[in-house]
Amino acid sequence: MNIGTGNPDQKNTSLPILGQPTSRRTALKVAGAALGLAAFGKAISPLMAIPENVSVDEFLQQHYKELSDDDKTAIFARLEKETREDYGADVKISDSRPIPGVKFGYAISLSKCNGNGKCMEACNQENNHHRGVDQSYIRVLEMSKGSLDMDQGNTTYDHTVPQDDKYYMPVQCQQCDNPPCVTVCPVEATWKEDDGIVVVDYNWCIGCRYCEAACPYHARRFNWEQPEIPAEEMNPDQGYLSNRVRPQGTMEKCHFCLHRTREGRLPACLEACPTGARVFGDLNDPDSDINWVLKNKRVFILKEDLGTRPNFFYFFD
Amino acid sequence: MSTTTGKLLEQPPHYVRNYPRFIWWALGESTNGNWLFYLWMFVLTCVALVGANAWAVQVADGMIVTNMTDHVSWGLYIANFTFMVGVAAGGVMMVIPAYLYHDKKMHDVVIVGELLAISAIVMCLLFVVADLGRPERFWHMIPGIGRFNWPMSMLTWDVIVLNGYLLLNLHVCGYLMYMRFLGQQPNPRWYVPFVMISIFWAISIHTVTAFLYCGLGGRPFWNTALLAPRFLVSAFVAGPAFILILLAILKRLPGQTIDAGPSRLLINIIRVTILTNLLMIVSEVFTEFYSGGAHTASTMYLFLGLHGFDALVPWIWTAIAFNVIAAAIFLSPRIFRSTPLLIVACLLAFVGSWIEKGMGLIVPGFIPSTLHEIVEYLPSLTEWKVSAGIWALGLMVLTVLLKMARTVFNDAVAETPVP
Amino acid sequence: MSNSATARSTLLLVVTATAMVAAWLIIRPVLADRNESNATDVTLTSTSTTTGNTTANPKYQVTVRKPTTGPRISTGLQDVNGNVATVACGTCHSNRAPNIKTKTVADLKHFHRSLQLSHGSISCLSCHNSSDYDALKLADGTRVEFTEVMTLCAQCHGPQMRDYEHGTHGGMSGYWDLSRGPQAKNNCVDCHNPHAPQFPKMKPTFKPQDRFLKKATTHPASLRTNGL
Ligand code: SF4
Ligand code: SF4
Repeated sequence: MNIGTGNPDQKNTSLPILGQPTSRRTALKVAGAALGLAAFGKAISPLMAIPENVSVDEFLQQHYKELSDDDKTAIFARLEKETREDYGADVKISDSRPIPGVKFGYAISLSKCNGNGKCMEACNQENNHHRGVDQSYIRVLEMSKGSLDMDQGNTTYDHTVPQDDKYYMPVQCQQCDNPPCVTVCPVEATWKEDDGIVVVDYNWCIGCRYCEAACPYHARRFNWEQPEIPAEEMNPDQGYLSNRVRPQGTMEKCHFCLHRTREGRLPACLEACPTGARVFGDLNDPDSDINWVLKNKRVFILKEDLGTRPNFFYFFD
Repeated sequence: MSTTTGKLLEQPPHYVRNYPRFIWWALGESTNGNWLFYLWMFVLTCVALVGANAWAVQVADGMIVTNMTDHVSWGLYIANFTFMVGVAAGGVMMVIPAYLYHDKKMHDVVIVGELLAISAIVMCLLFVVADLGRPERFWHMIPGIGRFNWPMSMLTWDVIVLNGYLLLNLHVCGYLMYMRFLGQQPNPRWYVPFVMISIFWAISIHTVTAFLYCGLGGRPFWNTALLAPRFLVSAFVAGPAFILILLAILKRLPGQTIDAGPSRLLINIIRVTILTNLLMIVSEVFTEFYSGGAHTASTMYLFLGLHGFDALVPWIWTAIAFNVIAAAIFLSPRIFRSTPLLIVACLLAFVGSWIEKGMGLIVPGFIPSTLHEIVEYLPSLTEWKVSAGIWALGLMVLTVLLKMARTVFNDAVAETPVP
Repeated sequence: MSNSATARSTLLLVVTATAMVAAWLIIRPVLADRNESNATDVTLTSTSTTTGNTTANPKYQVTVRKPTTGPRISTGLQDVNGNVATVACGTCHSNRAPNIKTKTVADLKHFHRSLQLSHGSISCLSCHNSSDYDALKLADGTRVEFTEVMTLCAQCHGPQMRDYEHGTHGGMSGYWDLSRGPQAKNNCVDCHNPHAPQFPKMKPTFKPQDRFLKKATTHPASLRTNGL
């Protein structure tokens, strides 16, 4: 078997696997390859659990913006069924669209917020967050009076509030008008809707977490595992782009409770706030509470220098 | 001998039809070897299988099995990815002198750099896939059937340039080997333009990868214009260092003659780049510390520790020490005479820039978080396993590719009858 | 040689041109975005007037919770069921003349001694009548029902009242859009004890734990995959 001759036909006859099985080496190679393949199959066998969780329909599902009304009906029915099977809860998934002419804005009075964290809890319950880690879209920073430097802040305080030398600053998605998270997403799984809310299609996101790196406000959360929610705690009023149960391995974020706010209701975190520090409304309505705040209070936005143009405002009384 | 090979061909125009056969044959040939080769491949296979298993568990159970958090949302995978892009780009350092400056001696080893680039890119792509939360949805990225957010997302640029670089190098290497196999003189028209493009392309893959990070305004640690140049020079340390090690190994193999010229040139390249790299680190560190302010927090954390957290401090000082020692060795004239010294210097430079680009660059970008919370990160066992698996696979690819090239190019070896 | 030089310069040209096209492709959407956002700003102002008009005639109301009429005070005794017995203020005060000199809780001899009074420098009779205990009084002596207590508070706390009216003080629930549903708001005394109005200290009860990434063990999906 001289390989140096260079005739392709001749070489073809000496092909290791397809060629003559007479060669001991070739036989060994075939055996080795077969063994290797078998070992590989065994190694990736944990993937066999996936078909149970990911149906063909889900795998082939199109981007939200491509879905027809019929598609949506079918998909929502499938998701409702899955929630029933996996969580034992009956839920209703809706698809509220932006109200024409409305642009949402949110403001927080740092003079009133006392850091009690009821908003975080309400978010957890309203949005069917993972109970295992008490997930929430909001973080409340305890800040030192006299400084806006977050480096002086702390989210893990657990003493009575408010402390005399502190003020409290809740941070959640700022629904930026120039959102870096949307720019960086490689598959357009996250986008800004007409009322200013930045949403994620949980069934389109590939889980690269680039948006999480890009967001300057720590507003995004990744589903590191399948969320755990007891059936009796499940909020059955669910939106496809908001608080439905999120699949493992995808990104999520605050959506201003769009399943509520697009129906005219106030967000859950605002209703939960005992101090009334939170103001929500339509920026396009000159008579709205939010516009009154913008006109009459000393308002600032976080990290203005980054040019993200938030629709989330902070003010002192 | 190669010319006789050509004459034996009866229908030379059927290149394309025969190309797959050629690949098949070369694959078969390159999997022949002595017991050392089989042992090496066996060990790599085992490591790769452990990695595959760890990855499968990660996909099934969720990324919870990694130590990444919402605070440090990229870790060892993306660190390795960034580094391997550098190695791939660094491979081209062989090509520039060979083609731009018509250095004939480089032509013989240029293929080593390109094969290294191919295996490095394969590893890059695997590292990205390992980092995805939903790898089965990769098709969402394919233009046409998915939604490809180009040109806005830098990640889509990266996907394009990485795959483009892979194809370019596959073409150049494949063409050169095939022509050699056919015993024909390669037609410059079919590869020189591609080589030229691949030179610029190599710069682009690393620049685009740097843009992934430095385009993020919310991460002051990355948001510096120096990032892309820094990436490039450290790539031109790591790439040539790896090639030098490879050449030293190849030289020891029987029947291999490798000219000292290329090694000499590579050492000279590293002499420049390793110093430039150190200079850039110094100027970054100076800018951060001298002016101070909130944006210094990550640098502070990395080099000195912040608010009592200092998990990365040993890493970065190890990297700096490695880089400085390597630089000192490279600058000494003895480097040309002593191969062991050269290997040590290359290893130090390689590991040094691996830490600096990985744990020293990706992770501190997230610490403190954008809300200035400090959550530390060290990779979990799963992450180490998956990363080791991908490295093993990359080395397997590299070994096979190098053996293919050797079979085709080295007549001495090709003529030895297979036992 | 000159051939390859031409080839090289052509190549350089091609590369530069590609880079420029690419740069334009990146910049163009950004520019478009700029223009677009300016344009929408203009349209937004015009639509906002119409939205404003619709909310000017809201279908639904904002309702403010009212305190139940007439406060009661604990007698310190228990009824047969073990509940604290309370009496209406008028029960005693209808036949007992108040001591005008009483300014603070410390001056009191019988009832109300457990009362916390920490409300600036005002005294009992700043808000309470000296005779009519079923109602309160404004600074000018006008009678005001307990249900209308906010009018009383607003005498001094004008800025708070102004904020309240604009939804930036005090808890609320319901609808932000009054053309779709009603809104309910708290009353001053829902949150503030009128005798010691400072908002009470609170203990945070809820903290996200995600930084520690505790492993969930009870979820069916994770059990399933763990079992493998
Ligand atoms: S706050 Fe973060 S997640 Fe929200 S829109 Fe801005 S960048 Fe995106
Ligand atoms: S994690 Fe999902 S939403 Fe975020 S950038 Fe990646 S694909 Fe887009």
